[in-house]
Amino acid sequence: MAEDVLLSDDLLRQLMSVGEVDLLVGMSSHNAANTVSHALDAIEESFQRNFVRQRVVIVNVGGGDKDEDGVEAKGQGNLAEKVRLPGIISLRTSHRVTANISGPPSAGIALRTILAAADLLRARACAVVSPAASNLTPDSVANLLRPIYREKFDFVAPLYTRNRYQGLLARNLLYPMSRALFGCGIRELFSDEWGFSGRLAALCLNQDVWHEEAIQARPEAWMGISAISSDFRCCQAFLGEKSQATKGLATDIVEVLRQTVGTLFWCLEARQSWWLDCGKSQPVPTFGPAHELTSDPTDLDRHRIFEMFRSGVTELEPILSSILDPETHSEIKSIVSLEEGKFRFKSDLWVRTLYDFAASYHHAVINRDHLVQALAPLYRGMTYSFLVEHSDSSPAEMEAASEMLCGEFELQKPYLMERWKAKVEVKS
Amino acid sequence: MRQTILRGLEQVYGNLVHMIAEFLPRFLVMLIIIVIGLLVALALKYILRALLGLTKLDRVSDDAGASRVLRMAHLPPMTELLSRSIFWVTWIGFILVGLSVLRVAGLQEQISRLFQFLPEVFVAILILFLGAVIANFLSRTALLAAVNAGHPSPKILSWSIRFVIWILAISMTLEELGVARQTVISAFSIIFGASMLGLAIAFGLGGQDLARKCLERYLGDTKKKEDKEPQPL
Amino acid sequence: MRLQKDNLWYKDAVIYQLHVRTFSDSNGDGIGDFAGLTQRLDYLEELGITAIWLLPFYPSPLRDDGYDIADYTSVHASYGSLEDFKTFLAEAHRRGLRIIIEMVLNHTSDQHPWFKEARSSRENPRRDWYVWSETDTRYQGVPIVFVDTETSNWAWDPVSKSYYWHRFFSHQPDLNFDNPAVFEAVWDVMKFWLNLGVDGFRLDAVAYLVEREGTLCENLPETHAIIRELRKRLDLAYPGAMLLAEANQWPADVRAYFGDGDEFHAAFHFPLMPRMFMAVKLEDRKPIIEILDQTPEIPDSCQWFIFLRNHDELTLEMVTDVERDYMYDEYAIDKTMRINRGIRRRLAPMMDNDRRRIELLNGLLMSMPGTPIVYYGDEIGMGDNIYLGDRNGVRTPMQWNSALNAGFSLADPERLYAPVISNAVYGYQAVNVDSQKRSGHSLLRWMKSLLQVRNAFQVFSRGTIQFFNPSNHRVLAYMRQFGEETVLVVNNLSSSAQAVELDVQRYKGYIPIEMFGRNLFPRFGNSPYLLTLGPYQFYWFQLRRI
Repeated sequence: MAEDVLLSDDLLRQLMSVGEVDLLVGMSSHNAANTVSHALDAIEESFQRNFVRQRVVIVNVGGGDKDEDGVEAKGQGNLAEKVRLPGIISLRTSHRVTANISGPPSAGIALRTILAAADLLRARACAVVSPAASNLTPDSVANLLRPIYREKFDFVAPLYTRNRYQGLLARNLLYPMSRALFGCGIRELFSDEWGFSGRLAALCLNQDVWHEEAIQARPEAWMGISAISSDFRCCQAFLGEKSQATKGLATDIVEVLRQTVGTLFWCLEARQSWWLDCGKSQPVPTFGPAHELTSDPTDLDRHRIFEMFRSGVTELEPILSSILDPETHSEIKSIVSLEEGKFRFKSDLWVRTLYDFAASYHHAVINRDHLVQALAPLYRGMTYSFLVEHSDSSPAEMEAASEMLCGEFELQKPYLMERWKAKVEVKS
Repeated sequence: MRQTILRGLEQVYGNLVHMIAEFLPRFLVMLIIIVIGLLVALALKYILRALLGLTKLDRVSDDAGASRVLRMAHLPPMTELLSRSIFWVTWIGFILVGLSVLRVAGLQEQISRLFQFLPEVFVAILILFLGAVIANFLSRTALLAAVNAGHPSPKILSWSIRFVIWILAISMTLEELGVARQTVISAFSIIFGASMLGLAIAFGLGGQDLARKCLERYLGDTKKKEDKEPQPL
Repeated sequence: MRLQKDNLWYKDAVIYQLHVRTFSDSNGDGIGDFAGLTQRLDYLEELGITAIWLLPFYPSPLRDDGYDIADYTSVHASYGSLEDFKTFLAEAHRRGLRIIIEMVLNHTSDQHPWFKEARSSRENPRRDWYVWSETDTRYQGVPIVFVDTETSNWAWDPVSKSYYWHRFFSHQPDLNFDNPAVFEAVWDVMKFWLNLGVDGFRLDAVAYLVEREGTLCENLPETHAIIRELRKRLDLAYPGAMLLAEANQWPADVRAYFGDGDEFHAAFHFPLMPRMFMAVKLEDRKPIIEILDQTPEIPDSCQWFIFLRNHDELTLEMVTDVERDYMYDEYAIDKTMRINRGIRRRLAPMMDNDRRRIELLNGLLMSMPGTPIVYYGDEIGMGDNIYLGDRNGVRTPMQWNSALNAGFSLADPERLYAPVISNAVYGYQAVNVDSQKRSGHSLLRWMKSLLQVRNAFQVFSRGTIQFFNPSNHRVLAYMRQFGEETVLVVNNLSSSAQAVELDVQRYKGYIPIEMFGRNLFPRFGNSPYLLTLGPYQFYWFQLRRI
């Protein structure tokens, strides 16, 4: 029986025509037929303005897609239609490669195809962008590629301007936890756009992890963590305002937790030999301005968030008791009983809670997917507490609080290490 | 008379010696079979342990929640459990075969009946075990989904699912063992059907307003949820 | 061989460009001359060229390598006499070689008698033969051509106390073509040489003949009127004589110089030349395709002249800033190599003496539409000397053998008009005609076979061109067609082996015959035709349907 191959004959033929490249930009255009044309033009313009001498290619996975009305996306085909810019003439032929994949490709399959193309074409600098992102501009593409191509970094994570109440999961969990454990202060490990070197692409492509659910959902975080834990050079680049979530992407908190926290915990599992030995976190070079917070007003139902926290913690008590340390669980039960106005989810408790979850994930005390889902009410509690505490805070104050939270994660790392290495007890 | 008695004693003694002489070889063969059975059982245990180790069965069992069930019952992990089970089943089988070699009256028939009944017992245990695992897993899945969706009374939903699966598992077990088959099937059908009917009536008639509110909330919540919670990423 | 009577001879010609000073010295004064050149005509005939374009040989102060002419109807004493020229012309014609000479219409040397008279007083009859002004503010905004040496297009004449116009060096005052006498004088000069038997003129700096306020003083309608008149007179009196325009412009602008077939017979395709070099460095056919896409159709009797290098710098006027920077970075990283927005290097050094690249570029030159020009010395891969001033580094003595002065002259080496190239790579000991004649696979031998094949087919000189668009951008492939002749040309622009699939369905059933070895290749069918090429390799296939 023939072995399954990743690259179809048609894709391989297209890659043969392209030959070696300096820059590669990949994207998954499944369900994005409306926006893929704009994305291709933005990338082309970026190439022509910023990388006029370089050999370039765009890899479009899931291309030839149709939108809801069955209209095929434009701008496909091997040789790029000329994006004529006033005063700009590109020196070289720009290629567009289309990889048609049967069925909806997961993020993991799309990335693996892009990595394979990058490896075969010996691309020096690569980027993945989302065609659905409203903030995709020629400059943002260049900002992802430049640090790799010119400054020889291996991984570029994006930085954004955000509303101060946006991205709380990243700010209160993903960023401080990954920073404390992996020793690298990358803010946006989970994003739709990032850059990486050909070297990193080859490393990730050759790892036997592509069947894992965590990789299928959020491969970019795994790539970033692979870069960190393999001593590759990482940095961040400012890309402007964070794109709004678009239709089809997960906004449901449980699904988001599955994709992000689930992936983070899986990475902890996979890289435990590295992070258990890792020292204090180091700052990460940043290109462009640091991330910014805006104070645009938002309409949030805090009461509902609190109620969901309280009812969730109460209803899930049997499950939480098997995940959390008894002391942590007892503290949580005590704050659950507080009145809404007096409720605060202190940082040290939050950190211990997360570390308990991480250790329990490692020991598989319950089904791992259930474990991640059980975090949702607690996350809501933390969110409510954050909203109340920072209702009048300035962006600078919020940033200071974020730094303190990062410090708390680092301070309690020994606690996690101890629980991680302990023998699991049977809890009935 | 003395001679008759002596002759009788001689004869009985002779019969006894003859019986022992006939029994001893069979006894020896039985021992040999038992020893061989022990060796075969041990070999199977180690082979199975190695094979199951390659398939990472313990990991799958962890994910399914079966390991937890085992731990609660102070049982070893799945791989070890299956390996030991196969050991005992094999060895008991060989013991029974050895016993049958003794040709003790009535024993062979009982052994034969036991052999016939063993697969059913095994399947019944398996059904119960799987039922426990599935009930545990699905009830917890339902609980988490209901809690995170903000539905009222998530515990009731969770317990209902656990209850239904347990009823089903017990019914199937009893049917497998052949215990009051007809009664069990009927009782299960009645209980299950009545529960479903009761829930439907309670919800549809007694909780019209609630039903309406739930539907409205479900249809409205999907949008409201997106609007009213901060974007996590 | 005698000259064939053919009014369109220039379309099928292969031109060899040389300066008589550089080619061969017969009298031992260290300067090449016509007598020496005449002795070398057999070499040129064997090479396979069919016409010689001579750089200016007129009496001149030689401050612009002879383009500053002091006497239009004579020969510079260093190069011999008019009689020597006539002998050379006759010998060339006897071998079937046509002769094209320079005619600098736009300006003269300031040592020309015409200018000496014009400047002597404001009342002199020839005063109006040049363009004078009391101030240097007329014709504002007109670009300077020699930016490295000139700061203005006006020069102050201390003799007549006024400014005179010069688009080139300040010692080259522009003639005033608004004066009909100038036109007649120029026509008389041309008649002089045509009567001797020359076959054509390269009109230097033809775009700048006329000035008008509020314009760039280039390509003006009046200029075209002058050319049309010249052409009319030429066709009447000297049918078969050719006018070649030197107009360094975009193809669309040069198009005007062909008129309706009533102006120039031929013009240089300047923008194509740097793009051939660019394409090989980029390993991408895009620059060539783009410029030829922009090239307009020309009248059937007209012809583009194409070239790789010449006596001037490799001009980068007709490229964008980005392209110019790229060319500088790739071909002239040493700033000594740069002059006047161009690169003053020869072909072989620009190709890093890579034989395959040199062959590829010559293959492109010989197979693209137009009449090719071979610059003297490039057929043996001569090097350059960037440390000689101006553009003299590409005008060093021809290297004939490894003996004294490369066989160019018997004079003392110090007496040579310029030193011979003598470094280890391009020195005359290593690179010379004799050694390459004796070597079986020398560049010279290869060039001969290339010209032999090219000359055997009119499709290269007169055929249409249709480009293929394979997805492999490193391959440039095109079809040339003329009458029954059809030739497929495939070029690998890259330094690594390539595979390419060509859509030849239109030519289904044709058999490709490789033109150098005459070997058959598989017939074209329905499927894309797969070819593989080595680094910088090219194929010429004659297509036959049998």
